[in-house]
Amino acid sequence: MLLPFFEWCDGLAMSQAYRDSTYLFAVTQALHVLAVTVFVGAIVIGDLRLLGWGPVGQSRASIARSAQRILLWAGLAVLVTGIPQFTTNALTYERSWLFAFKMCLLAAALLFTATVRHRVAVADERHLPPWVPKAVGAVSFALWMGVTISGRLITYYG
Amino acid sequence: MSSIVPAFTWLEGLAWTTALRESPYGYPLIETAHVASIVVFAGLVIMMDLRLVGLAFMPAPLAQIQRRLFPWQMATFVPSTVTGILLFCVDPLRYYRNVLFLAKLAFLVLAGLNALVFHLKTYRRAEGWGEDPQVMAMARLAGVASLLLWSLTIVSGRLIPNNWFK
Repeated sequence: MLLPFFEWCDGLAMSQAYRDSTYLFAVTQALHVLAVTVFVGAIVIGDLRLLGWGPVGQSRASIARSAQRILLWAGLAVLVTGIPQFTTNALTYERSWLFAFKMCLLAAALLFTATVRHRVAVADERHLPPWVPKAVGAVSFALWMGVTISGRLITYYG
Repeated sequence: MSSIVPAFTWLEGLAWTTALRESPYGYPLIETAHVASIVVFAGLVIMMDLRLVGLAFMPAPLAQIQRRLFPWQMATFVPSTVTGILLFCVDPLRYYRNVLFLAKLAFLVLAGLNALVFHLKTYRRAEGWGEDPQVMAMARLAGVASLLLWSLTIVSGRLIPNNWFK
């Protein structure tokens, strides 16, 4: 169903330029990992605070607000460096169940972070049972680690 | 350098390194665990660095955020180091000649030294943070150096499979 889209991505001039260059793909890939590291760092510091293990001297909302700016900038960098990697290998990814799995997990993680996690992080701490932020922190951590791990495994089993 | 080759040849020929190298799961799973643990470790280090340089988490006192993040940084540093050593043991003859691997090691050592100096010199004067401009300047400098060195470690680490400088 999505094959024409994957073929269009594969045929882009940018995809060809990436395939022709010795350095472009590898350097973009390395910068992607760096951006992912910053993004995951901002997620994990918030998750640790939700779990009650991180910087508990600060409110959950204060940590979430500070991390949000980092998440937006690092997320943008992840996207900018991820798109050319995808288009360059679009036809390989079209057949990869691990890539499909990673994308589903990524969608779930993004949705969860923007909705449930955000609402719990900024909510008045006195109005939530203690298990709620802990559960949200654990689910968030599991989702984002799932995205990271499945992304890495594509290289081997994709 | 060549005197180390027999040791690496011996290491590469061991039953367990051979088994890991030839297994369809051994190397990929160790490498994935390495990436996952280093992403969390370096991610938390970078969060601390961003606080040190004054770019994020400003309402949190430096000493407090450092104290609360440090155990988690260590908890993820251990598995990333263990898996990193295992990866090297699986293919030592390939790695020791790889310039990008050696660059990653050099950046890693420098990042470690920077963290050590920060902990021994600046962090011990934590009571003065927020008041003593000299301590704050040292903390900011350590943060900038750490950001740069960990970024270079990650980038050079990801570039290792592209052995461009043979």
